[in-house]
Amino acid sequence: MSKQKARATNAQLTGLYKPEAVKDVAESLNITGLSDAIASALASDVEYRIHQVVEEAGRFMRHARRTTITTSDIDQALRVLNIEPLYGHFPHNPPTFRRAPPFPQAPSVGTVYFVEDEEIDFDRVIREEKITMPKGVNWTAHWLAVEGVQPLIPENPPAIPRDIEGEPSGIKREPSTARPGGLFPPTPPSSDRPSPMQGAKKQQQPLVKQVLSRELQLYYTRLTSSLLPPSSDDTKRNAALASLRNDAGLQALLPYLVRWVGEGVVNALKGGVQTDNDGRVLGVLLDVIGAILDNPTLFVEPYLHQLLPPILSTLLHSTLPPTYATYLRTTASQILSRVLRQHSTTYPSLSPRIMKTLLLALISPGKSKGTREGAIRGLMGVGKEAVRKGLVEGGGAKVVGSECMPGEQSPVVDSVIAALKVLHPPSSHPLPLNTYADTDQPLITQLQETLGEFFAEQLLFDRDWAAGILSGSSEPS
Amino acid sequence: MSAITPAASTPGPEAASPATASQDANASASSIDRQILEYLRARGHKAAEQALLESLEQGGTPDENKAGPSSTISTDDLVKKLAIITQKSTKPGDSSLKDASTVLSEMVAIGNSVNIQNLVSSIGNVGAEDILSLDPGDKQEGYRELEAWVEGSLDMYRPEFRPILFPIFVHFYLDLIQHGFKDAALKFFADYSASLAPAHSATLHHLSTLHLPTHVQNDELAQRFRNEKYTIRMSRSGFSLLIGWLNEGIGGESLGSGVGFAGEKGKRGRGAIMRVVNNHLKFDVTSAPGTSVSAESWEESSGLLSSLIPQTAGSTTYDPMAFNAAKGQLKLGPAPVPEDLQHETERVVREQSMVDRDPGAQTVDVKREVEKIRDARKRIRLDPSALSTANLSAAHGAAARSRAIPSICAYTLHDVGEGAPCVTFSQDTSLMAAGFSESYVRLWSLKGEKLKGLRSDFQTSSITGAKSLRKIREKGGSTTRKLIGHSGPVYSVAFDPVGGSAVPPKYLLSCSADATTRLWSLDTMTNVAVYRGHQNPVWDVQWSPMGVYFATASRDRTARLWSTDRASALRIYAGHLSDVDCVRFHPNSLYLATGSSDWTARLWDVQRGSCVRVFIGHQNIVSTMAFSPDGKYLATAGEDLAINIWDIGSGRRVKKMTGHTASIYSLAWSAESSVLVSGGADWTVRCWDAKSSGGPASKSNQNGMIVNGYGGEENGITKEHDELPSIETSDLLATFPTKRTPIVNVQFTPRNLCLVAGPYLSPEQR
Repeated sequence: MSKQKARATNAQLTGLYKPEAVKDVAESLNITGLSDAIASALASDVEYRIHQVVEEAGRFMRHARRTTITTSDIDQALRVLNIEPLYGHFPHNPPTFRRAPPFPQAPSVGTVYFVEDEEIDFDRVIREEKITMPKGVNWTAHWLAVEGVQPLIPENPPAIPRDIEGEPSGIKREPSTARPGGLFPPTPPSSDRPSPMQGAKKQQQPLVKQVLSRELQLYYTRLTSSLLPPSSDDTKRNAALASLRNDAGLQALLPYLVRWVGEGVVNALKGGVQTDNDGRVLGVLLDVIGAILDNPTLFVEPYLHQLLPPILSTLLHSTLPPTYATYLRTTASQILSRVLRQHSTTYPSLSPRIMKTLLLALISPGKSKGTREGAIRGLMGVGKEAVRKGLVEGGGAKVVGSECMPGEQSPVVDSVIAALKVLHPPSSHPLPLNTYADTDQPLITQLQETLGEFFAEQLLFDRDWAAGILSGSSEPS
Repeated sequence: MSAITPAASTPGPEAASPATASQDANASASSIDRQILEYLRARGHKAAEQALLESLEQGGTPDENKAGPSSTISTDDLVKKLAIITQKSTKPGDSSLKDASTVLSEMVAIGNSVNIQNLVSSIGNVGAEDILSLDPGDKQEGYRELEAWVEGSLDMYRPEFRPILFPIFVHFYLDLIQHGFKDAALKFFADYSASLAPAHSATLHHLSTLHLPTHVQNDELAQRFRNEKYTIRMSRSGFSLLIGWLNEGIGGESLGSGVGFAGEKGKRGRGAIMRVVNNHLKFDVTSAPGTSVSAESWEESSGLLSSLIPQTAGSTTYDPMAFNAAKGQLKLGPAPVPEDLQHETERVVREQSMVDRDPGAQTVDVKREVEKIRDARKRIRLDPSALSTANLSAAHGAAARSRAIPSICAYTLHDVGEGAPCVTFSQDTSLMAAGFSESYVRLWSLKGEKLKGLRSDFQTSSITGAKSLRKIREKGGSTTRKLIGHSGPVYSVAFDPVGGSAVPPKYLLSCSADATTRLWSLDTMTNVAVYRGHQNPVWDVQWSPMGVYFATASRDRTARLWSTDRASALRIYAGHLSDVDCVRFHPNSLYLATGSSDWTARLWDVQRGSCVRVFIGHQNIVSTMAFSPDGKYLATAGEDLAINIWDIGSGRRVKKMTGHTASIYSLAWSAESSVLVSGGADWTVRCWDAKSSGGPASKSNQNGMIVNGYGGEENGITKEHDELPSIETSDLLATFPTKRTPIVNVQFTPRNLCLVAGPYLSPEQR
């Protein structure tokens, strides 16, 4: 409304409706030689009538509680002015006006606008059948203010820091400087309609600012600060994770979150000595990854190559803080398995790559026990086949076994046993293998060959289990 | 000279009497007498009519006196006579011959073509001056000088003088258009409209669309400017300064600028201003000293007031205060409660306070009154005055804040197609209704209960009691219902208030662009009555506080009172000069307030249908309003983005509150009339302290007043603010922005919780 007003006063001197236009219309009706005086008088009159209609339409707009005039307002105005409305225009699908490219032959014409008339291909329309019913009107309720304070919830716009002078003009994002007296309404404060000046300013800033809305930036800082210690508030952290797990509209934030997680993991693992604090941080970061994967509205796949390093680093790191190590590795392997489950179909090279990394960590010499354990847990996460490939066929168990003292009880050993249990469940009534019986001799030899001395020893007490593990390996499907 | 005296003394519109006087030479005297008499009677000029009648009875009509000598006197005499007339016309209070062309045409009409050449040459400077007064350059020059004079005048007079610029600008522009100087008019507009734009944008925009003489003749606003006097209030000393300047070209202006206006051209420009002042302006000279005039008071006392104020018995009032005072006292107290109802209520309250038992069988009235008392007891008390005193420590401040500002619950409508012009909540907050541009009304149960109507296939004989009634309810159903019946956008919906907050409402009213008002039964969920009568879209509908009656406001410039059981209107409240945009009942049902596109609000006596108060001060359309629950104040909001609070008893403006940056759609008072909440198209809800004195925000306060010595240092601090003047007045307690939701409705529950509603505009929508 105010926009139109401004435009009207700007174009004041010349008039909006040009005498040339009147002449054009006259010529189209075979009236030639219309004098200039008549044309300009008619143009003035036409303009006056248009303004009359617009003024009337403005009332309908105001009573419809809108700030833009729609075609339906014009129709209503014409109706009350006893003029037949213009049929065929619908307010919910306003025609788009395009500016024609400048016409060099006749520069006096000025800019020409036209209504875009899209060609509709019936074949395509019929084939695609993309007619969607609009959702019905529904409502939500939220607290706009509680006892005079606006709660910081997603439904409310983020609090805008007060001006340096402490001016109470809280909401004015674009102060009405252009208007004299400042009495006149800008159209509602809108960030989607930036003035040219703002646009220029924005382009100078890095791309980041343009992509992330202010709300999201604020959300990001709040989220990251509430997740990590020093904030030790568990409820807050859980709330943040829940928000990450369920809230829609975070897609734009995803690259930042992924990078944040990656950096966090690197920082936590960088120092040689791992403290409990680092463990906690890693745990939270893994939770964050889990939450991101859980969120059904996020499209994670493009960022998988960035997400995997933190997971695998946590999984395979040699010296995790002892109290957290098992928990962290288990969680990481679970996440890994989830990643594979969700994305291996659409991202076929994913599982081979992970397998390769894990096998390398498991078999290649000179790795610490922590790494080996992580690799085994990772393989468990990947699946039964992977465990077989790594432990049995790849000789992972042998490698691990050779590094272990006989009779040792360590997380690595536990993990291997657990992995073997995955491979084939131990029987409920274990029957020990008879070392001396001839029937069992080939089995024991085979066991020692594939799993190494150490784990062969461990399996001796259960014949069925050992046989199961070996039989799976001997005839891989 | 004596010939035109009686006509000139009439306070009627300019040029009417001279025009008739000039015709009379050729026409028969008696018929013209009759016409003049009729004209005077129609205009209500009793005194003039009387005078004319008397002079007629004396035998010779004044017109004959004039016509008589003109045939005999020599041309030299005639020239002298005309010269006197034309010169006289520049004196205040006298009507003039319109311009030189009428003089000439009159002389042609007299005949004697031989002498015309001599005549014109002998008219000399007098006639030439008038012919030259048509020169568009004069108006430019005159207005420029006037503006310079006003801006150069002393600080104490400037607020008084400023309002004079606008009517003179308008008349100059209209003159130029009417004389066919379109280009000159456009140039004049482009040059000088900028300084007037902040205060008069709507009118200016409208005027800028006029380009041809016929437009001026047909346009309503232009004709109002032409035919009515524009009232300006001025102090005595200011007025004499103005007169002095108009006559002498000096006095009152700033030093060093006195020379520019002395020349011949300046004199003609001044003459042009003088003509407008004489013909179209009315000065309301007060004895109050000029310093007491605040910057905003002109809004109430200047403008085309005479038609805005209802005329009583032939007397023309230019002062809204005088009109309001003449209408006497109003009964603004609460509505009386019948004694037996009061007793019954007290009894029930007493009993229920002892044993919390089932209310049992009570009438709706008793339930409502009982609930009212309970609400009053449990109400959250809002006391903004606490905020101003206890702002010192943060903790204390927060506590005061929570006492001053209500809790606000926002209901946001999503996926609204073309728009939701209205939303409302029932008083017991069990239902929400919204009217849509797509011509339907939608109901929601806010408690999540299913909305079931009655089945239509039942025998009335089978209904024996409440149980059988329950049986014919529809099966299933959902928590929302669509009410279809209107054939145009629905502009307002209202729940019936009979049950108060105790019982869910039984009826819903809706009004629409199809010029009908519809009554919906919430038992059957169907349309039960249609009220036709308005000729044009109905903008607003409102129940009376006790139900049964309701009022509508329409584009046909009337408000009407209806009873639900009658198909035609009971009263028609006519008098507004433009659309009636909103209508509200006084809490005691005795009065009805209407807000209109003629920039005024009026208060009507519901029973008698007469206007009892007029509230002038908004500088644009009055879009919404609200009565304070104590019945003493009326808050109105306009398209000028201001909220005015009026003292209904005296009709005076208590204060003006600004801060919104787009149209204000809804207003609501808290139950103890201390806090006003407003919502609007700028996507904000704002809370205002209704009781504080208001005024401009304290920081920008110092800008205009650097007179005192101590103002110096503040001035240094406030320098930055000069570029960005804050329009928020100091009584704005809080602003709560929403994301993208224009607030269509603001409402307080009886326990002082604030509910607001609006449709969410998705960013893709244009």
